[in-house]
Amino acid sequence: MEPIVEGLQVRDREEDYINIQPIQAAGRLTLEARKAMISYGDGYSTCDYCLKPFRLDKICKPPIQEFVQDLAKFVNMDEARVVRGARGAFQIVINSLLEKNDIALVSSIAHYSLCLAFESRGAIWREVPVNEKNILTADAVAKKIESVKKETGKLPKLVAIHHVDYQFGNLHPVEEIGKVCKEYGIPFLVNGAYTVGTMSVDGKKLNADFIVGSGHKSMSAPAPTGVLATTSEYAGKVFRTTQSTGDVSGRKFGIKETELLGCTVMGAPLIALMASFPKVKERVKHWDDEVKKITYFADEFLKIKGNKILSEMPRKHTLTKVDTTETFGKISETHKRRGYFLTDELTKHGIIGPFPGATQTWKLNTYGLNWNQIKYLAESFQKIAKENGLNVI
Amino acid sequence: MAEMSKETENLFNAMFALEDVREVLRQSAPKHELDEKQKEQVRKALEKIKKALNVLEKWSQ
Repeated sequence: MEPIVEGLQVRDREEDYINIQPIQAAGRLTLEARKAMISYGDGYSTCDYCLKPFRLDKICKPPIQEFVQDLAKFVNMDEARVVRGARGAFQIVINSLLEKNDIALVSSIAHYSLCLAFESRGAIWREVPVNEKNILTADAVAKKIESVKKETGKLPKLVAIHHVDYQFGNLHPVEEIGKVCKEYGIPFLVNGAYTVGTMSVDGKKLNADFIVGSGHKSMSAPAPTGVLATTSEYAGKVFRTTQSTGDVSGRKFGIKETELLGCTVMGAPLIALMASFPKVKERVKHWDDEVKKITYFADEFLKIKGNKILSEMPRKHTLTKVDTTETFGKISETHKRRGYFLTDELTKHGIIGPFPGATQTWKLNTYGLNWNQIKYLAESFQKIAKENGLNVI
Repeated sequence: MAEMSKETENLFNAMFALEDVREVLRQSAPKHELDEKQKEQVRKALEKIKKALNVLEKWSQ
């Protein structure tokens, strides 16, 4: 097929393959989002009716204002904004709450973007270690808070923890962690990049001061989209409006929100996020089905003798880390295609997503696959295993 | 705003119906073997596309 422009090939990965790429699965667009992109692809397409007070979240046509209010309700918080990815949300919160050299706590398996957001502010991020099951506990957080207090004489300024982490797809006890933070009076940010949009997230129940979501990771939206939701206590701080005035022109900028740099995500990505939202709201009610599917897949995957699952079992999320060192890894040692043999074989079966060359520890995500595809996926791994002399129970 | 022109409306109808077909491709990947419900979905979409293309063809003449 002809490229769209030189160097830009048509992408058919979702049409011709089963895609189990860990970060792509729950960001696949809905039908409605794709239609919305067709109609609203132009630059400032959301801004046809941007009237006073000239702020993105106040636009009524299309119904962005209503959507932003719905977003807050969706995660049971008081106020929300669409932001430039989860990482954009991190920066907004960190810039609002922390100064240079302030200490914040993250997990030892926190996403790099959170750590970089602290670094860019000049703040210091300290890690709370996960336990032997790669789960963060409330006790570990409390212990680290005390350790920071003992060392510095001050409490950390923020605790920012993943609801489900990106390394193992493990579900962490953020409600209990949030309770610890409340006891210490430390603001608590829940990184819901893998949960907002896939499972029900109740920010108040989780004792969160900030809920962060990722549109392109878990809300069937294009990049870069994200959600920052907060309580009335913090809304005035993170969504504070500009106070500055031009010294020559005397200009002011109305009610633009300083940390958001005014308008955040305009045009197609926002519209697609909105267009997917009805389906996203519905699908979180059926999260159990997704867990059933990954459980089925995990059980079948483990029938290949020597395969291991490194994520917590039983599975509580579709993102899963596996270890095939003793199975496909062993085959790759002598295969003429070396480690690439597995991804090559999978591609021949119409399956893509694992990192090319990966045969030892790697991740997959089954979110959004239907039962036919889940069964086909499991059968294909077993078939490849058998064809390469591996034992399948 | 003025009502949408017939040609623009039919353009979008065709493009949206093609997205309906695309959805069936995604749901049936990788083998694209369709069940009866999916076949009906594709047929309905193709009808919409043909109808829209007829209008666009007349417009182009």
